[in-house]
Amino acid sequence: MTNGDVLIRARDLALGYGPDPVVRGVHLEIRAGEYWFLVGLNGTGKTTFVRSLFDLVPPAGGTLWIDPERAGRERVGFVPQRCALNPSLPTTVRELVVLGLVGLTLSTAERKDRLATALAEVGLGGREHHDYWSLSGGQRQRVLLARALVRRPNVLVLDEPETGLDPAAEERLLDLLAQINRERGVTLLSVSHDLENVRRYASHVALFRDGTIHAGPVAEVLTHANLERTYGVPFGESSPSGGSAKPFGESSKPFGESSKPFGESSKPFGGSSPGGRS
Amino acid sequence: MIESFLASWALFHNAYIAGWLIAVLLALLGVVVVTRDQIFLGAAVSQASVLGIAVAVCLGSLPAVADCTWCNDDWTHTLAGGVFAIAGSLLAGTATLRRETHESLTGWVFLTSSCFAVLLLAHSPHGMDEINRLLASTIIGADFDDVVIFGVAVAVVAGVTARLHAPLRLVLMDREMASAVGVPVAAWDRGLAIALGAAIGLAIHVSGVVYSFGCLVMPALVAKNLSREVGQMFWVSPLVALAAAVGGFVIANDYDLPPAQAAVALLCVALLAAWMVRRYRG
Repeated sequence: MTNGDVLIRARDLALGYGPDPVVRGVHLEIRAGEYWFLVGLNGTGKTTFVRSLFDLVPPAGGTLWIDPERAGRERVGFVPQRCALNPSLPTTVRELVVLGLVGLTLSTAERKDRLATALAEVGLGGREHHDYWSLSGGQRQRVLLARALVRRPNVLVLDEPETGLDPAAEERLLDLLAQINRERGVTLLSVSHDLENVRRYASHVALFRDGTIHAGPVAEVLTHANLERTYGVPFGESSPSGGSAKPFGESSKPFGESSKPFGESSKPFGGSSPGGRS
Repeated sequence: MIESFLASWALFHNAYIAGWLIAVLLALLGVVVVTRDQIFLGAAVSQASVLGIAVAVCLGSLPAVADCTWCNDDWTHTLAGGVFAIAGSLLAGTATLRRETHESLTGWVFLTSSCFAVLLLAHSPHGMDEINRLLASTIIGADFDDVVIFGVAVAVVAGVTARLHAPLRLVLMDREMASAVGVPVAAWDRGLAIALGAAIGLAIHVSGVVYSFGCLVMPALVAKNLSREVGQMFWVSPLVALAAAVGGFVIANDYDLPPAQAAVALLCVALLAAWMVRRYRG
């Protein structure tokens, strides 16, 4: 079997914490440069799947193969929902970002270079000595992104990174992620509940539903019918008989209509257009 | 004041040095307790150690071991205090019970240890004297062996902290991220709990509850308010503890006060000042 540009492959994978797996029968292949969104109701196994990528949840069945050279622990970055740091503790941007280098053996010069580069990439260059708590929510999230980028990852895993951000900060962050995906070829896996963002940025989607995953290119998976079955509420042009196979976002129905001023932001990170499709 | 302190050096130098080493050791480990916001854990582990000593004193007074030479030995009491402190630290710091927080377990360890230590020795005048001595805190009895033990302990803890400061900080600051980059978080939890229990268990028998608990949490709290990064807390905290211990012992010697309480009182004033500094800086 040739792996080609496949970084992660699941075959009949089952994952869970006890005797009953949270998800089972998972088949998917994630290739270099793809931008995946993991979507579905709460408790359907999205976080469990993400944890399995870091070897924190062993497979309860099937196989999960991760390219050890290109997607091993040293080449994967992680961006949590929010920083778990106790807010009463003192810390600087520098301290938080450099902690992303734990587990890597680097010279002092290389560490400094990576710190400066990662901060510049997220638009926080020169702020390494700033108090982390003095930053806005969007800037803090970009610090966490810098902490992941400082590892120079091939794969970036994000757990609802847009949670708690205002629309402008959210758009800046997602545009930046799309830029990283497009220009550096970093493979992105992002847990999200925002289907409009999925439609705009994803190249592939994993839809978590009924204990399994429906995964594939966004046009095939993100259909009104699939979304209706997943969420149990009408999505756009669904029919009484089970919905339409039309890609989500192509109708003028409720979820296709975004109230956000997309495209009207100042896009300080290079003015990129929504992208990330491979 | 300094002259009178230097004049007492010949008589009390082992007690002074042991007290300073205990302050530095506990202040280093206190950073772990403070960053995790587990202040009360220090008090609970101290009390668990007292319970261990009470159990050892109680068992040593049984007629069945009347001929046992080591049963009432100081080292036996220290060992028992250390074992109970480690057990208390592991229970309160790492154990999980469904629908219970670590604070609940810490409270249980504290109250169970406090009650049973007194109940066990309620009818033993000698035993109650020992409990009262531990609760009151005095470092005057420390000898050269204590200096060696705490000197080695400081060297080991400082060495490990310096060598592994990055993964240690990550475990303390962001466990999820630490797990994601492959740091064995559960092993770190157990290791830190054992180190904390062992250090408090050793220190309690020499310096008592007030000094041990004070040196564990106060310097780290001062450091938290004065530092700009968690990493700085690891050297600010021992420096604050050492300064307070030296100052406290000098003042106590001059005014004929208990040295442990004088040092902890200085730490309390230092924390007040640190709060004001932080408020002023904004």
